[in-house]
Amino acid sequence: MHCKRINLKRRSLLTGACFAAFVFAGAAGSACASDYTPVTDARLANPEPGNWLMTRGNYKGWSYSALDQINTGNVKNLVPVWSFSTGVDSGHESPPIVNNGVMFVTTPYTQVIALDAASGNLLWRYKRKLPEGFSALHNTNRGVALYDDKVYVAGLDAVLVALDAKTGKVVWETPVEDWKTGYYMTMAPLIVKGKVLIGVAGGEFGVRGFVEAFDAKTGKSAWKTYTIPAPGEPGSETWQKADTWKTGGGGTWMTGNYDPDTNTVFWGVGNASPWFGDQRPGDNLYTSSTLALDGDTGKIKGYFQYHQNESWDWDEMNAPMLVDFQDGGSATKGLFKPARNGYLYWLKRNPDGSISYLRSEGYVPQNVFKSIDKVTGRPEIDMAHKPATGKAAQFCPGLWGGKDWPYEAYNPKTGLVYIPSNENHCNTLEGKVEERVPGQWWTGVAIPDLHFSVDTKAAFYGELQAYDVNTGQRVWRDLYSGSMMWGSPLTTAGGLVFAGGTNDREFRAYDARTGEQLWQFKTNSGIIAPPSTFEVNGVQYVAVQSGYGVDAAFQEGLMSELVGWQKDVPQGGVVWVFAVSK
Amino acid sequence: MRRLDFPNGPLFGRRAVLGLTLTPLLFGAARADEEAAKMPPQPDDRFVFLTGPKKGQVTQIDDLPLGGPQVQAYPVSQDGTVRNETPLNLVILTRFDPAGLSEETRARSAAGVVAYSGVCTHQGCAVNMWSKDRDAFVCSCHGSVYDPRNGAEVLAGPAPRPLPSLALKPADGAVAVASAFSGRVGGTQK
Repeated sequence: MHCKRINLKRRSLLTGACFAAFVFAGAAGSACASDYTPVTDARLANPEPGNWLMTRGNYKGWSYSALDQINTGNVKNLVPVWSFSTGVDSGHESPPIVNNGVMFVTTPYTQVIALDAASGNLLWRYKRKLPEGFSALHNTNRGVALYDDKVYVAGLDAVLVALDAKTGKVVWETPVEDWKTGYYMTMAPLIVKGKVLIGVAGGEFGVRGFVEAFDAKTGKSAWKTYTIPAPGEPGSETWQKADTWKTGGGGTWMTGNYDPDTNTVFWGVGNASPWFGDQRPGDNLYTSSTLALDGDTGKIKGYFQYHQNESWDWDEMNAPMLVDFQDGGSATKGLFKPARNGYLYWLKRNPDGSISYLRSEGYVPQNVFKSIDKVTGRPEIDMAHKPATGKAAQFCPGLWGGKDWPYEAYNPKTGLVYIPSNENHCNTLEGKVEERVPGQWWTGVAIPDLHFSVDTKAAFYGELQAYDVNTGQRVWRDLYSGSMMWGSPLTTAGGLVFAGGTNDREFRAYDARTGEQLWQFKTNSGIIAPPSTFEVNGVQYVAVQSGYGVDAAFQEGLMSELVGWQKDVPQGGVVWVFAVSK
Repeated sequence: MRRLDFPNGPLFGRRAVLGLTLTPLLFGAARADEEAAKMPPQPDDRFVFLTGPKKGQVTQIDDLPLGGPQVQAYPVSQDGTVRNETPLNLVILTRFDPAGLSEETRARSAAGVVAYSGVCTHQGCAVNMWSKDRDAFVCSCHGSVYDPRNGAEVLAGPAPRPLPSLALKPADGAVAVASAFSGRVGGTQK
């Protein structure tokens, strides 16, 4: 593709008198797609601080940047440099991925937009044509994966697509599953040693989840590991009723993390289906678990199941972060996970790739676990708070959990983990036996009967919490009295935490050590996408998409009825890019 | 796609009925079947149940509970082709006391039975749930609520427009399509 180099003078870049005072050293530099820098295994294993090559910034899942040009001292001078309207409504959940000056964002309905990261100029755009009659519960997309000279995106219609990073043209497409049966894809793929790993959604439709790897060059399937064992396979004994495994859920709808040292992929597994455990007796491995998979073969090396016989729609789809923390006075190669079930988990990465339980503690009030076994991590369930077929039960937190899909972040300089969480909400569910129609909602409970409730006198609902990863002590928290929290924080070596996630459309910067709010900016919509940060020509930028929708909007509608919150947070996606004014 | 050879009996695929000796003919027949199974509801089509104990059988008026909830169905042609090759042909049928229907809805009904597209106009999910509290249809994905007695007008939720309706006429204890969908079927997608 012929690419015209863009070398705008500062005055033309900063259009409008109100921006005339802001001058960004080096902002005149620009990316040219024809100069595209291939992404290698080595770069993915050790990403340059100036780039943001994958969804959570590194294989460990930290959402951390070593950049510190923007810091606690100057963040108050952060101003927008450019913005870009995606022209798409609904929930934008993709971070800007940046490779040497080229930015890639995705939108709902599987669009990919490539932009000059410094100027905001459009390089190319890919719009997936979805099949006639297509539908999906969540139309969102959570970002691209980069490898070599290609960009990979998981099509909502369960087709994996490889695009030429320079042109946006399709290099190959591989159907992953039949969308008509309830499968769809929303996560960002994960690149592991020349393979593109994907997971699937559909746990509300009675699919059987899996993680599948495809050759990055050809799109040919390399391996496929189901999250629910077939009869005779290890773990199949935990599906005690015939055939329930075939429709048992176990979606894999969030991107995994990766340990190159042991070649182990950690991937989260969602809820079992239908939602009511008495319809599928047994522990139901590997639903609501973290799987440890061999990066070359997909073989299951180990697992940890957070709660058995899942009955609360508490997916544990987020992979834990790879963090080395202190346990019992010694440095431990660990996994750390704020689970949807409301507990923090400290787990151990064993040399053979398996997972051991270390300890756990609640980070939001929860009324389902009576206790957790100190050795195995298995919770004892209070059956009064476990819904079943024909038996209504209330449980707190509700089905959106202490934390839903938004990522936590870890800052190695502060030793703190930043957790977007929600409290003071519950659900009351009662199951029914329902006939499954492939492609249709099949949870055992209808949408009008979800019975979401909140403590209407609560002082807050959403919050951002900071925990010391070694001691488990909460160090600070910011409470949102009028909003839930649906934002993924980004933390930096500049001593900052950036986060949106609230219904007031704000994008905030906090002091990472103290939680003091240092800056805020009101965007076009609510931010439910993770921010990222990058550097071009010596200038550090912070970028985020603002575009409210999907579950955050649905929950907001319920909160408008329960406590009178604003019903309609404005929608429509915009990419915002900020830098410090001089 | 399925063919319905005996309107009130079990379903048989045409290929299964005719056997393999007629293979050359079957390709043409199969193509014609597929085309017919993709067509939107046509006048005089009846309906077959998608779910329940009478799955695959023609829906009779007496099969429908008075006052809801809806049943899911697909149109079936006079020669027995079930038009289920596209999810856009999903129909929901509900029976009411005609006196409780709006004038316009009553005019499109037959024996109190009303028929709408079962595809939500928001994101295209199945409108297969029923709210007892609101006496209304509910979309299974994002909770849009539609008024079945009044043209499936949107009562709540994100749906931008009513469900398209099918005008019906009585047909020997069942109902049949009188005219095509009143509007574009399907969700809104960018």
